[in-house]
Amino acid sequence: MNSLTLEEKLRVVKMMGEFIPHTSGLGVELHSIEDGELTLRLPYQQQLVGDAETGVLHSGALTVLLDQTLGLSAVCSNDIAPSVTPTLDLRIDHLGIAPPGSDIFATGKVLRATRKILFVDGFAWCDAPDKPIARATGTWVRVMDIDLEWIKSMGRGSA
Amino acid sequence: MSLAELIGRDPDATTLKLWLEKIPYAVYLGMEAELHDNDILFRLPPDDKLIGNASLPAIHGGVVGAFMELAGSIHLVAHMKKPVLPKIINFSLDYLRASRLQDTWARCEVIRQGRQIANVTVAAWQEDPGNPNATARAHFLIAEPENSKENSNVPLET
Repeated sequence: MNSLTLEEKLRVVKMMGEFIPHTSGLGVELHSIEDGELTLRLPYQQQLVGDAETGVLHSGALTVLLDQTLGLSAVCSNDIAPSVTPTLDLRIDHLGIAPPGSDIFATGKVLRATRKILFVDGFAWCDAPDKPIARATGTWVRVMDIDLEWIKSMGRGSA
Repeated sequence: MSLAELIGRDPDATTLKLWLEKIPYAVYLGMEAELHDNDILFRLPPDDKLIGNASLPAIHGGVVGAFMELAGSIHLVAHMKKPVLPKIINFSLDYLRASRLQDTWARCEVIRQGRQIANVTVAAWQEDPGNPNATARAHFLIAEPENSKENSNVPLET
C-alpha cells in the first residue's frame, strides 16, 4: 500500500529526477501526477535532433524519456509502496513523428504490480495526450522498497 | 552533402564517421563506429552527461537503448543494396545488467530485409561480447522514397 500523499509523490519524483544527471541535464521536468499517472516533459532541443534537415527529434530521445517516465511512475501508483526499480524490458511503438520545435510529454501508469514485477504502460505526446506519437510498454523489477518514513522526513523543515 | 546523399556511398570508415557527424543526436551521445573485418562495431565512450544512476555510477538505460537504436539503423543502411533512410516502426529492448561508466559496444545483425520492412537485432556489451548488457530488436520501414507517402508510418492527416 502506498501511503504517500500527492505532495509527497511530487517531492519524490522531483528528488529522484535530480539524482539522474542525464535527464536533469536535458531539462526533463515533472509535468503532473494525476490518478496514479505520471507525466514528464522533455524540452525540444537541437542536440537531440535525429534528422538535421527536418529538425525532428531522434526516436532515441523518446526511448530515454519513456524509460524514465514509466520507471518513475511506480512512485505514483496508489497500490504499491515506492521502490527501487531497474528496467527489465521496454517496447516502444512509434505511431508518428514529434513536430519539430515541440516539447515532448510522456505519461506512464502501473497497470499491475506483483510482489517482484511492475507491468507499466505509457505513451508520448506533443499537442494532446489523446494524440500519442509513441506507445510504450515494459516491466520493471522491484529490487527494494524505499523507506516511506525517510521520504516523509525529507519535506520537514523545508519551505 | 546531406545524410540522404551520403548513404549511397560505400560504408567505409570515413563514410561511417561522416554519417554519424550528420546526426546531431549521435554527435551529442559521442557515438563512434569502427570497421572490423567487414563488420561494424559501434562504440559509446563514457561521458558524465550520460549517467542515469549517479551512485553506481551507471549509464542511463534509455541512452543505452538510443545508442543501440542508432547502431541498428546505421548498420542497416550500410547493408542495404539500395540505401534509403530507415524509419523506426518499433523497438524492443531487454536490459540484462546495468551499464557502467565505461566503453559500451554494439554489434547488429539484419535478420531479414524485405521489400518494405527490415528486422534488425542489436547486442550491446562492455567487457565481454558473450556477456551482453542489453539486447534489442528493431523493425524499420525501408520503403523507397517515391513510395514514402503510401508507406509512411506518419499518420496521413497530420
